[in-house]
Amino acid sequence: MSEEGTHNAPPAPEANPEEINASCRGPVLFLFFSAALWAVQATGVGLLGSLKMHVPGFLADFSHLTYGRLQANSWVAFLYGFAGNAGLGLTLWMLSRLRGMPLARPGFVLAGAFLWNAGATAAMVGITMGDQPGVAGYELPAYASRLLLIGQAFIAFSAIITYFSRRHQQLYPSSWFLIAGLVAFPWIVGTAHWLLVETPVRGAAQIPVAHWAVTSLQQIWLGCMGLAAILYFIPKITGRQLYSRQWAAFGFWMLLILGGWVNLNSGSPLPVWSIKLSQYASGLFIFVLIAIGWNLRQTAKGVPLLGSNDLTLQCMGFALGAWLITALFTFGNVYSDWNSLLQFTYAGTAVRQFFAWGFFAMAMFGAVYYVAPRLFIGEVDWACSGTYKWIFRLTAIGAVVILLAGLGMSYLHGHALQAGSAEVLKKALMPMRIAFLGEILFFMSSLIFLGSMACLLFRNCCGEYSPMALIRKCRAAKAEGGAE
Amino acid sequence: MNKSPWIFLGVLFALSLSWWGMVFGPASQANAAKADLGDGTSLHPRSGLAQQGEQIYRENGCYYCHTRMATGGTFGYEIQITQLGADKALTREIIGEEYAGNKIFEKAYAFQAVAAAQDAATAEGADVEATKATLEQAKAFANSIETEDSLIALGISGVTIEGDLAGELGLPIEMSDADKSTVADATFAVSKGIEQWDEIKDRVRALKDRAGAQFKLLPVADDWPDVVYWGARRQSVTRDFLHDVHAMPGVMRVGPDLSNVGGRQLDLNALYAKIYNSQAGGKSSHMPPYKYLFNVRSAKEGEELPTNAVTVSTGDGFKQSVEPDFVVTPTYKSRALAAYLQSLRNDRGLPEAPLPAVRKTSNPEEGE
Repeated sequence: MSEEGTHNAPPAPEANPEEINASCRGPVLFLFFSAALWAVQATGVGLLGSLKMHVPGFLADFSHLTYGRLQANSWVAFLYGFAGNAGLGLTLWMLSRLRGMPLARPGFVLAGAFLWNAGATAAMVGITMGDQPGVAGYELPAYASRLLLIGQAFIAFSAIITYFSRRHQQLYPSSWFLIAGLVAFPWIVGTAHWLLVETPVRGAAQIPVAHWAVTSLQQIWLGCMGLAAILYFIPKITGRQLYSRQWAAFGFWMLLILGGWVNLNSGSPLPVWSIKLSQYASGLFIFVLIAIGWNLRQTAKGVPLLGSNDLTLQCMGFALGAWLITALFTFGNVYSDWNSLLQFTYAGTAVRQFFAWGFFAMAMFGAVYYVAPRLFIGEVDWACSGTYKWIFRLTAIGAVVILLAGLGMSYLHGHALQAGSAEVLKKALMPMRIAFLGEILFFMSSLIFLGSMACLLFRNCCGEYSPMALIRKCRAAKAEGGAE
Repeated sequence: MNKSPWIFLGVLFALSLSWWGMVFGPASQANAAKADLGDGTSLHPRSGLAQQGEQIYRENGCYYCHTRMATGGTFGYEIQITQLGADKALTREIIGEEYAGNKIFEKAYAFQAVAAAQDAATAEGADVEATKATLEQAKAFANSIETEDSLIALGISGVTIEGDLAGELGLPIEMSDADKSTVADATFAVSKGIEQWDEIKDRVRALKDRAGAQFKLLPVADDWPDVVYWGARRQSVTRDFLHDVHAMPGVMRVGPDLSNVGGRQLDLNALYAKIYNSQAGGKSSHMPPYKYLFNVRSAKEGEELPTNAVTVSTGDGFKQSVEPDFVVTPTYKSRALAAYLQSLRNDRGLPEAPLPAVRKTSNPEEGE
């Protein structure tokens, strides 16, 4: 049933894309540029932490730079810094375009973005000072989560008003995912904040709460934003219709229902029924994988996504593949023997990194590549479009290196743990040492991403008064003077 | 899928399912768990230094490299008879010839027969000849097995034999404390420890209801790497985290599992040395040094180390400072961290996680 069917009034006329882009320009570019800064921060800190796996004594005299704190900082910088900014920026732009209306209340977005970044910064400072709540994968001190929640509320307010500002015949599936992402974040972080930090439940009860929050943030929040981008850009760039709305809807609801249940380790000190339920949910996750994968495969049938000349399409193709692989790994947790083997190894972290960079970051890089130049007036493009390809290449290679090291070598580590091998330490460190190469590549791609964003802004940010325009004028004036 | 309010409501409903299943359900169950079940396995909250040490553990992010989750696995049951019933033939039939053929079994019933004959001899109209025959039979059997096995046989027979008669039956005339302990703790296994409940339930019921034997069921870890190799004593369960301010089960095992570190690392100085510099004394480790948790000052010429100085043993049995030419003493933070680590123990059984017996014993990384 369409929305129109329930109202007599015709839908408002659709705004033209230029008007929509102009309305998004300030807030979305601010969010994208923040994301680029946070990506460098996340990879830089992560690299520093990983270096400690090679040289344990490196910076060991600084209490603020322990491996645990650096790991927590790196993930917080990625999740709330890079992913939050990029995902929210893309959400606003896509909702505006999908609804055909300019972004409503951009001032709220700017205020929210400032608060959001203040929250992520507060989290980084808090963790460095030892204020993290001890929940790997969440790690938000109370004050940081308050700022993030308020900031997100401001941004979501603008997004919701934009969403309801015009009725459509049909809601495109990406809209469902974006709305779910906006609703899921406050629910997940609110629950974790309340039950783990503000008024913590008893220690034993914190374990399931923490698992749900961490898994939901990854599978549902990041998953929804990333899949929304893939579902939007693959049909758009290939010029095809999405193969099936029904498959998309099935995948969407299954993801929301199962996303918070999956991936509980079989050795977790929790009631057996919750571990069994999680195993069943992991098994059912195969339906999410099939629904999303089959739908997009049929949509892009015959189009080589990775071999495409369009960089956005390449990014989306890789992101889709990465999501399918991590979904397959999630499904693998239905086998408790498999889970028991890998549960204390680097495999979980490697798959998380693959999901974060191979799927989410790649989808965002592709989306930003498409969206950011369109936010400026007139025909603009990336300063050195060739360099942007390196973001794709480096991130892709880094993600694959981490996945292969994480799964292949962690398998050996798991065996060593189960067999009581004296070589267990060596086998634990090996995948992390190889994954270090992947982290170096992530760091390099983040630097290029930041450089590309900076160039784009310098060239186009203020019309005739942009730094590049001023430099060009100066050069021209100099040349004129020289000629005279 | 085109009505916005339904999408919102649907999203909320879908999220609420996993919220209910993974947050509300398990958290309610864990929240309702009792520290004291009234069976002597009460768990006490950490206090003082150990409680503050949990904060140091959290601040430094130790949970990224260490877990506190000892996992379990499958286990079999070993039926351990602590006292035999009176009917030898019936017991033999129930446990089978494989176990009834054991000399401990035979001797235990010989002891029962001697005790019964002694009682009968004192009774009016006793059959003296029969009593003598029983005693002679038991004496003839006296030296056929080791003394320790005789003590076990005496323990599971449920009778008391003392003095010269004990000597004649192959038992010590004067029992040492160790002998008494062997008698008191005597058990006689009548299963291999690999059998599942379904395989032994009939035997257990028959021993209890028909033979009148007393016994206990000992779980035997079959495939529990954490218990067999890595120093844990049992599986970690929800109740182990009941009193934690921050539950930190851990992410990876780059370092060893710490669920029973307090049970195997009893030497406080060694623990300090490990935290200060895990490679001190030539040990192989990849743990970063945490020197900032200690006071370090130069040692004066000929200065004796203070009693609280952190030391390591040299090859010739002497002790030297963990940092040669320096005096290293623990700060408040390192004392708190060590107290916390020593509070992490799972060497007491819980009803939901009994201490299993271990079939294999080797631990290449003990104390790592």
